Parts: sequence; C-alpha cells; structure tokens
Amino acid sequence: MATNACLVVSLWISCLLATTHAATFSSLQRTLVLTASPQAGQVLKAGEDNITLAWSLNTTFASGIDSTYKTITVELCYAPISQKDRGWRKTVDELAKDKTCQHNIVKKPYTSSNTTFTWTVRKDVPGATYFVRAYALDSAGKEVAFGQTTDAHKTTNLFEVEAITGRHVSLDIASACFSAFSIVSLLGFFFMDKRKAKSSK
Amino acid sequence: MEVSNGAEETCQKKFALPVDSEHKSTEFRLISVAAPHMRAFHLSWISFFACFVSSFAAPPLLPVIRDNLGLTATDIGNAGIAAVSGAVFARIAMGTACDLFGPRLASAALTLLTAPAVYCTAIANSPTSFLLVRFFTGFSLATFVSTQFWMSSLFSSKVVGTANGVAGGWGNLGGGATQLIMPLVFNLIEHIGATQFTAWRIAFFVPGLFQTLSAYGIFFLGQDLPDGNYSQLHKSGDKHKDSFKQVLYHAVTNYRGWILALTYGYCFGVELTIDNIIAQYFYDRFNVSLHTAGIIAASFGLANIFSRPGGGVLSDIMATRYGMRGRLWTLWIVQTLGGVFCILLGKVGSLGVSIAVMLIFSLFVQAACGLTFGVAPFVSRRSLGFISGMTGGGGNLGAVLTQVIFFRGSHYSTETGITLMGVMIVCCTLVIMLIHFPQWGGMFCGPSSKGTTEEDYYLSEWTAAEQDQGFHTASLKFSDNSRNERGKRVQQAPTPTLANPNAYV
Repeated sequence: MATNACLVVSLWISCLLATTHAATFSSLQRTLVLTASPQAGQVLKAGEDNITLAWSLNTTFASGIDSTYKTITVELCYAPISQKDRGWRKTVDELAKDKTCQHNIVKKPYTSSNTTFTWTVRKDVPGATYFVRAYALDSAGKEVAFGQTTDAHKTTNLFEVEAITGRHVSLDIASACFSAFSIVSLLGFFFMDKRKAKSSK
Repeated sequence: MEVSNGAEETCQKKFALPVDSEHKSTEFRLISVAAPHMRAFHLSWISFFACFVSSFAAPPLLPVIRDNLGLTATDIGNAGIAAVSGAVFARIAMGTACDLFGPRLASAALTLLTAPAVYCTAIANSPTSFLLVRFFTGFSLATFVSTQFWMSSLFSSKVVGTANGVAGGWGNLGGGATQLIMPLVFNLIEHIGATQFTAWRIAFFVPGLFQTLSAYGIFFLGQDLPDGNYSQLHKSGDKHKDSFKQVLYHAVTNYRGWILALTYGYCFGVELTIDNIIAQYFYDRFNVSLHTAGIIAASFGLANIFSRPGGGVLSDIMATRYGMRGRLWTLWIVQTLGGVFCILLGKVGSLGVSIAVMLIFSLFVQAACGLTFGVAPFVSRRSLGFISGMTGGGGNLGAVLTQVIFFRGSHYSTETGITLMGVMIVCCTLVIMLIHFPQWGGMFCGPSSKGTTEEDYYLSEWTAAEQDQGFHTASLKFSDNSRNERGKRVQQAPTPTLANPNAYV
C-alpha cells in the first residue's frame, strides 16, 4: 500500500518536472545573428520573390556556447500586427504551444561559420507582416537558442508578403456559368409548371 | 372515418401506402420510395441535407480560408452569425410560399436561388465578400420549412411526428457530415495538384452542384399533395388558392405559434450555435488538433441521424396514449434536460467526460427539435406553412441571439457562455406550460369545459362566407383525422356540430 503510494507520488513528481522542463522562449539566449534581404516595409510576392538569409554565431558570447547546437531551423514568423484578433497566431511563452512561427523556411545542420540560403516565398504563405527567426536545436530537437531579424518587441525591420489570391479566370467563369444555369433552370421550372397546369384543365 | 367501404378500397388501390380520408399516408415506411408519400420524404430530406452541407461548408475549411482572405476572429464570428441570420426571415417567407404555391415549387425555387451564393463563395476575396456569401447561402436553411410542411401535408397525425423528425433530423445531419466531407474534398483537390488557396475554392462547387441537382429531383419527381400539385389542383378547383392576408392573420394571432417559435430557438438555435463554436471550443480548451476537433464537432451533428427522429417517434408514441398533452409534457421534459446537460458541458474540465456530456446533450437538444414538430402541425391547419415558418425562423433567431450574447468578443469565456446558454434554455422552455388547446388541453389543464371539438378549433380559422364556398373542406378532414390527439385515457368529447363554430384564440 505504502509502495503503491510512493510509486504514484514519484510518477506524479516526474511528470510535473517534465512539464516544468518544457522549453520556453524567454529561457532562450539570442546568440545567433540573422539577416534577411527584405528591407523594412518591403512587399514580397508569394510564389515569385526570394528572401536571402544569412546566419552565424554572435562572437561576443563566450566560446563553447554553441556546443549543444546541432541543427538550425529558420522560420517565417508573424509580426504583432498580423496576430491581432487572430488567436490561431498567438504568441505563447511555452514553445510547444507557441503559434508565432508557422512557416518553416529551411532546416540545416549547424556550423559556426556564416551560412546563407535563398528561399522563394511559397504560394501557401498568407498575406501578412512578417519577420524571420532562427532556432538552434540540440540533438533531441529542443530549442536552445535563437536569432531574429527584428528587435525584442518585434517592431523594427518587418516586411510584408502579398499572397496569391487563389482565384483564376476559369474559376470566375465557372462560378458565373453555374449560377446562371441555376437561375435559368428555375425560370424553366416556373414556365413548365404553368404550362402543365393550363393543359391539365 | 365517414368513408364508405367501396370508396376506401379505391383510395387504397391508388396509393402504395394505406391512407386516410385526406389521402395522407398513415404509415411511415423508411425503405420505400413509393410516390407520392415516401418519394417526397426522400427528396425533401436530401435537399435539406444539401442546404445544410452548403451553409456549414465554410467552418471546417476556415484554417485555410482565414489565411487566404486575411480574416480576423471578429470577421469569422460575424460571418457565422450572418450564416444563420438570413434564414430567420427566409423561413417565415418560405412558410407563406408553401401555403400559397406548395412545398415542391417553393423549395426547388429557394434551393436554386441560393445555389449561386455557394458557387460565388469560390470567388470571394475579402472579409466582406465572405460574410455576404455566407449570409446568402444561409437563406437555403429555410428549406427546413418546406420539408416540415410537405411531411405534414402527406402524412397523417399518427405518423406526422415521425415523418417530420426523420426528415428534419436527416437534413440537419448535413451540418455534421459537411465537417467530414469538405476537408476530404479539399485534400483530394490539393492532391490532384491545386495550391491550398485554390483548392478550397474548387471544393465549394461540390455542395453547389449537390444543391442544384436536388432541386431538379424535387421538381421532376416530387408532388405537393397526394392528389396532385398545387398549380394543377388550383386550376381544377380541387384546391382553393388561399388569400395571403387571411393566412398571415390566422398565423400571427395564434399565440401557440409564438411560443413554439421561442422554444425552438432554444433547441434548434442552440444546435446551430454549437455547430459554429464547438470545434474551436475543443481545440482551445483541450488542445486537441484541428482534425480531432473537427471529428468531435461532426459527431455532434451526426447524432441527428437518430436523435431528432427519435424525438418525433417519441412524440407520436406519447400521443397514442396521452394525446396532445403527452406531446407537450415530453417536449418540456426533454428540452429542459437538454438545458441541464448544456450547463454541465460548460462546467466539465476533462476531455473524455466533456465529449460524453456533449453527446448526451446533443441527444436531448435534437430530440427536442423533433418533439417541437410533433406539436407544430396541430397549431393551425389553414396557416400550417406560416406557423412552421415562424417556428423555424424562431430557431434561427435563437441561434443569432445566443451567439451575439454569449459567443462574440471576449466578454465570456466559451465555457461560461455554454453554461449560461444552458440556463437560458431551461428558463425559456418554461413557456411551454402556457400552451393550451381547447379541444385537447395543455400541460396542466384538461380540455376546455365548454366541450370544444377539433372542428370548432380548426374551422374557426374560416369565416362563414368562406365555409359556404367550401374552402374549408381540407380543415374539416384534418379535424376528423386529428381526433386521436385526445389520447386513449380521455373520454369522448361531444360530437361535432356543423353549425357556426365559436371562434377560439
């Protein structure tokens, strides 16, 4: 009975510890330097324009800080203005629940020297205001450091993406045709019904 | 029934199902497609299902649509309210249209008139245009009224609750089925090669085409009444073309219609509200994936396959023993229990129990919808369509009200909103106690001591002049056929007289 209770309590404590060890954004150090080609306020077209990224380790930090870094993942993240009144893009400190960065740009193995990458803005990127952030992941895939193109309050150096509409001329024509067909059918029905009533007399 | 044996046999020979003196079917055979009764049943529930699929086709695809159109949470909330608000007045208009033109033309017309809104969803490009297409598509939910009217015209009082319940329930199923259908269609189109922001647009042609085809089915295969269509019967003189003013007057002055309109807002209205908010609720509160939240949301709507029909069947069963009083008591009990489980749903904090409570809640609230339309066909005979429309419109109004009061902005958390909505259900359902039929009684009082008969009640809707011209014959037959609403336990009321009946409120 006592051993059962001990087992339950220890399991519960370890669960608690596991959850308190969930990675939070505020616990990360900004040790990476990340630059992106878009100027502040520039508008990029989805599916057409490119972003050129360059990242490296900030040398002002003590050497050896990057000993746990195994992978770099670069993400396109929503600026606060595009998060307003949109709970599905909310910034939350616990990284597992954070929805700020929803579009992965690239994932590469970590090297301390300068790395560059050119990315064409994908067609499924929505129209919004963005910045770019890079996370350094350890061998377990957990975030241990970051770098971003904007300041801590996410107000500077933001750029926009103009999304594709998803509309095509063929769709417009199809919508118009099917709609017209429905209305014409209805008029046909009324006409047929009236004629049938007249002939049944 | 005062029909001679010979005439009765002729009636039986004309129809595949046994019929009463109005040629309404006295049996409800689900697997039959015999014209005109069961065929009309299948046509009407399928077209109503199609309209529900179209009206709620957007919610499961919102994660894609909101990114494509740059929608905010407010835009989405407003569009959800718009989707159910259009039908408030459309349902009342539909009731009138059914009374005047017949359910076949009325529902085919509405289905075809709203199909363009569904096709145009594919070319929406802003929050405003999105709201407008959802608003106009929502008008199609008025086909509910034509469904109930049509069933009430083709099925006798013994099975009208069942027919209404199954037709309504299987139509409402569309609200759940769409949460599964639309993501499937979207994924298929994306797989074929379209980009996300184009694939969802193409997906909307599926519900649009379904709607158009169902309208064709109704027009070519359906029939308004057992004896023919309204236009034929009007021309041949077998059916009197009624006056809109009279139909309106007798509907609006019958207080029972208003009471049912209010209470329907707190079973069906609540069901629509839940259709709009439940996926987000489970996603946010319990952190399930959007896919899982969609499945949970779908299961709420899918319960309609047996819960609403169950309500209709229960109404008919209670009526055989206890008559109309049984129908009213059962409606009150079931709807109040629905309110109680709604209160519980907001309070429960674990995922498994929450899903269980939600399913029980769905059973009671949807059964209450079925039970409501076990009572509605008896409120008025002359203004059956308008009463059905008012009740249906009240349902949508309830959805608009609950969403505006409890689920808009961040004044209440969603769980608090759900609990408060449950409290409102219990309170508003109390008015059922005020319904009293002089010929059958109400929840607490028996039939009127003046000895009112069914004929007195239904013929009071026609003036002496109209009766002289014979316009009231359908009401006369209906009065005769509705006598089993007295129940088995009530002693025989006085025999009907054909002298001037007293007017009853």
